[in-house]
Amino acid sequence: MTPVDDHDDDVALAGEYALHLLDAQARQAFEDRLKDDPALRRLVADWDQHFVSLADEIVPVAPPPALKARIHKTLFATPAKTTASVWRLLMGAGFAAALGLAVLVVLPPTELPDGFTPAFTAELAAEDQSLVVLASYAPDAGILRIDRQAGSARPGRVLELWLIADGSSVPVSLGVLPDQTATDIALPPALADSIAGGTLAISDEPPGGSTTGAPTGDVLAAGPVVSI
Amino acid sequence: MTTRQDVEKMIAQVGLGDRAAFSSLYDATSAKLFGVCLRILNDRAEAEDALQDAFVRIWQKAGSYAANGYSPMTWLITLTRNLAIDKLRTRKEGSVDIDEVHDLSDAGPTPEAAAVASSERSQIDGCLDELDADRADAVRGAYLEGHSYNELAARHDVPLNTMRTWLRRSLAKLKECLSR
Repeated sequence: MTPVDDHDDDVALAGEYALHLLDAQARQAFEDRLKDDPALRRLVADWDQHFVSLADEIVPVAPPPALKARIHKTLFATPAKTTASVWRLLMGAGFAAALGLAVLVVLPPTELPDGFTPAFTAELAAEDQSLVVLASYAPDAGILRIDRQAGSARPGRVLELWLIADGSSVPVSLGVLPDQTATDIALPPALADSIAGGTLAISDEPPGGSTTGAPTGDVLAAGPVVSI
Repeated sequence: MTTRQDVEKMIAQVGLGDRAAFSSLYDATSAKLFGVCLRILNDRAEAEDALQDAFVRIWQKAGSYAANGYSPMTWLITLTRNLAIDKLRTRKEGSVDIDEVHDLSDAGPTPEAAAVASSERSQIDGCLDELDADRADAVRGAYLEGHSYNELAARHDVPLNTMRTWLRRSLAKLKECLSR
């Protein structure tokens, strides 16, 4: 047996650190040493590399699909770069037609389908974050789930949701958003096919929504629809 | 089939802020990492939170991955496991009583679970076999279940300091075996 010297002590200590057995104080002290001690870092890396083989027996389990959207939202909750161009698009010349297609059905909460599994998501955010809405779309259920995370309609006004299909310049109304922050919207099948690669936007409208079939007020937030 | 090189490349691209690569990395690795979170936390909601923390950390740290010398899955699993154990420790703070310790003991790893480890035995498994069975179990319990010294001592019915000594000696022996 070799006598226990500093190196042996560090070998065990690095192993304890890798196993996460050190208490908070000892762990912090060890991490402070790690910063300027490459040899100690190598000891930890060796342990990590060996111990990770023990995880071979851990069976992979698919996480729920909604978690990916949640992570994207956490990380990328900044205004999408396309906001400015969408704003120009909506405020530009393309407001003419787009009548008649819009059908909004707000489902009462008791009818929300279980196991909502979105395949697309969009983050609609104002440039100053004064309005942030997360939309997720489950094609199987034909449901667009709206989660208004920040902001609300201006006094005496409403928020109206629009879809601009990929390659189209014409916004199609998905209806006026209700007062509650979370809403499920049943999308007509004809629109469902247009949502992938499209853009969702929210405009400021008079009560009852735009009467022209196109946005009439400010475009408050917009974001591209991305697949999850 | 996603190879080690694929995962390495994805991490490198994520390090450059590539969201599509982040999405691919998630698709390729989230099931294994979620399995790790579930194993440690044994609770779906907490495991989901831990996995979210892990991928946020991966997004933030991917840029410095190349410098750390870890193989890609080792880096991902180690990072995820550490976050899951942090969550486990927070949950258990001040709440360890005898009943709970006994429950934990009942939920310990079974020999069958350890045996699933696959036909291709790793070096660490070979070296753990050279330890007394209960000491090897303690090391496995610490790694795979995230057990603390307190829990290990309770499970093996030895005083805390004895467990500490056991484990440190076991680690020294393991290192000697792994370096052969």
